[in-house]
Amino acid sequence: MQFTEAIRIIREFSSANLPLLQVQLVTGFNSLHLQTFLQANLQLRTSTKRATVMTNIYGDLTGSLKRIPTPLLDGCAIALEWPDLDPRLGFRRLGGWGPKELADVIRDVQTRLLEIEDSLTNLPANLPVVLSLPTLDLPPVFHTPAHQLSEAEVQLRQVVNELSFWASGRPNIKLVHPMGDPQHRFDFKGELIAGLPYTLLHADQLARSFAQLLLPSVPKKGLITDLDDTLWAGIAGEVGPSAVSWDLDNQTQLHGLYQQLLRALADQGILLAVASKNDPQIVAAVFQRPDIALPRDRIFPVEVHWGTKADSVTRILETWNLHADSVVFVDDSLSELAEVKAAHPDLDCIRFDGQDYEEVHRLLYRLRDLFAKSTMTEEDGLRRESLRSSAAFRQAEVSPRVSHESFLQSSEAKITFDFAAARNPRSLELVNKTNQFNLNGTRYGEVEWRDSFKSADSFAVNASYCDKYGPLGVVAVFAGQVRDEAVTVSTWVMSCRAFGRRIEYQCLKAILDRFSVPEIVFQFSPTPRNAYLQKFAESFLGEIPTGPFRISRALFLDQCPKLYHEVQLHHE
Amino acid sequence: MKSNSIMNDYRPRLVQCFSLVFPDLKASEVYSASSSSVAAWDSTAAIILANVVEEEFQVKLDYDVLPELVSFELMLEYLAGSSKRPAEE
Repeated sequence: MQFTEAIRIIREFSSANLPLLQVQLVTGFNSLHLQTFLQANLQLRTSTKRATVMTNIYGDLTGSLKRIPTPLLDGCAIALEWPDLDPRLGFRRLGGWGPKELADVIRDVQTRLLEIEDSLTNLPANLPVVLSLPTLDLPPVFHTPAHQLSEAEVQLRQVVNELSFWASGRPNIKLVHPMGDPQHRFDFKGELIAGLPYTLLHADQLARSFAQLLLPSVPKKGLITDLDDTLWAGIAGEVGPSAVSWDLDNQTQLHGLYQQLLRALADQGILLAVASKNDPQIVAAVFQRPDIALPRDRIFPVEVHWGTKADSVTRILETWNLHADSVVFVDDSLSELAEVKAAHPDLDCIRFDGQDYEEVHRLLYRLRDLFAKSTMTEEDGLRRESLRSSAAFRQAEVSPRVSHESFLQSSEAKITFDFAAARNPRSLELVNKTNQFNLNGTRYGEVEWRDSFKSADSFAVNASYCDKYGPLGVVAVFAGQVRDEAVTVSTWVMSCRAFGRRIEYQCLKAILDRFSVPEIVFQFSPTPRNAYLQKFAESFLGEIPTGPFRISRALFLDQCPKLYHEVQLHHE
Repeated sequence: MKSNSIMNDYRPRLVQCFSLVFPDLKASEVYSASSSSVAAWDSTAAIILANVVEEEFQVKLDYDVLPELVSFELMLEYLAGSSKRPAEE
């Protein structure tokens, strides 16, 4: 981003009447450029809030860390540089660079890092903090030539690494991985004359990383891959299952690396499917090869036939119950990519060009970024298996041979409602990524979510589900307030993996039973994506509501279908 | 003649830079703007203005010259001078 563009973005939103997104930027240097780029990058990532970035007194990083106005903040970004750990490790002070001073410098750095660790420990556990460790080179303080790493420098880097190791284990702290060419980060003249050590390029890159970590993108959930010349090299139907390859000997390692990455993604809960124009028997034979790096059991569903890829993708999205914008499609053929893109414009369609090593190298990182998550939850590992069982549920719903009622009855379903749910990180994650069964589409920051449960009359509940097909983990969250014998539900989401199991009815029953109220008020808003919730409301009201609606106990009892779940309640 | 043409080309672009950095400045006030007449023109604004001008005109405004570029006219003259320099050398 150009500096001018950053200022334009800030100016554009400067008078917008929106709630504030307040971020504290903590640096020991003049943070003018970093602040400007950070504010602009944050603004680009949120259209419902006005980003503001507050800064601290020049030259006092550790003191400023102790004075962060945490109650006001939605996040904190800290850019640490060597002079913050000891001014002699910078260019603006003349405290000495000789061997005599070096031992003292190392001691001071250790002391300062302990102070920083202490300040970080004292920040609220749910204040999102992003920490950048020194990104600029050390000055020539060592007796060794620049191309030799000295013992003192190793010591310095080790103590900083100890802080980063400690910070990486803190749930609210994310560490920045510095991007860009280290040779283009430092502005020597800017540092000496204006206290601005970062080049505009570096300030922009660091600000972008800060913004991405404070307001992360919603990761993609599924990947659909082609097979021939994509998952492996060669056309299996022409050369035979044993002759397609993905290894160094055949100079087709690119495909092996792609398989390896997909396997890693699958094991992190990303959904994988195949869409290939191929002979199913031949494909099955390739997947039986012992050297395959992506086992067949990581993939569901597999669409292998001679029909169109666009139709295959449609069926896969239906099986996954995902919108196209949550999914990536990878194919080597530009025409197949174009056909699928035309049918599913929101799908991210990416080419795998096995002849272009640089492009595939970039693709591996791009895919990693598209699916990246800062933390993993138990539910991530359950997703694929739960989708298989969801597919079984949906099949039972439409199959004339199986009674849906008897299918539900025999599924041995158990639901656990946890009334201490606000503490569970899965709650917020589910609220922020669910679309189809979402009461009003409201998204929350971590601090906002935490603050919404401060009053004694508020509640938040998680529903976990399992049946004989396996556990689905936390599948629903509802939250709201109890006042004057009325419950108002302001948040209600349910994972699409849980549809068709009547869990939504059990949620209502749990509220009515737990709070003994005559009715529930729902702070509903229609969104372009919450069709499933709209239908559910329509089933009670006879029409799709246009705003908040109520369901009385009597109406619920009249309309509720038979429920077969075993229900457990966990109270605070 | 060439100098006039450069000035005519640069003036509206420099006005845009000033308007972006000093949004409260009326269009008619830009031409006479100086660090003494514009309250918001402090050391921070001077750096921001320099960065915006650098990007618009693809030039490097050295920190050394910033203290001298304290008005719209002075900045315009400096930019026009910068563009002539390579040809004269």
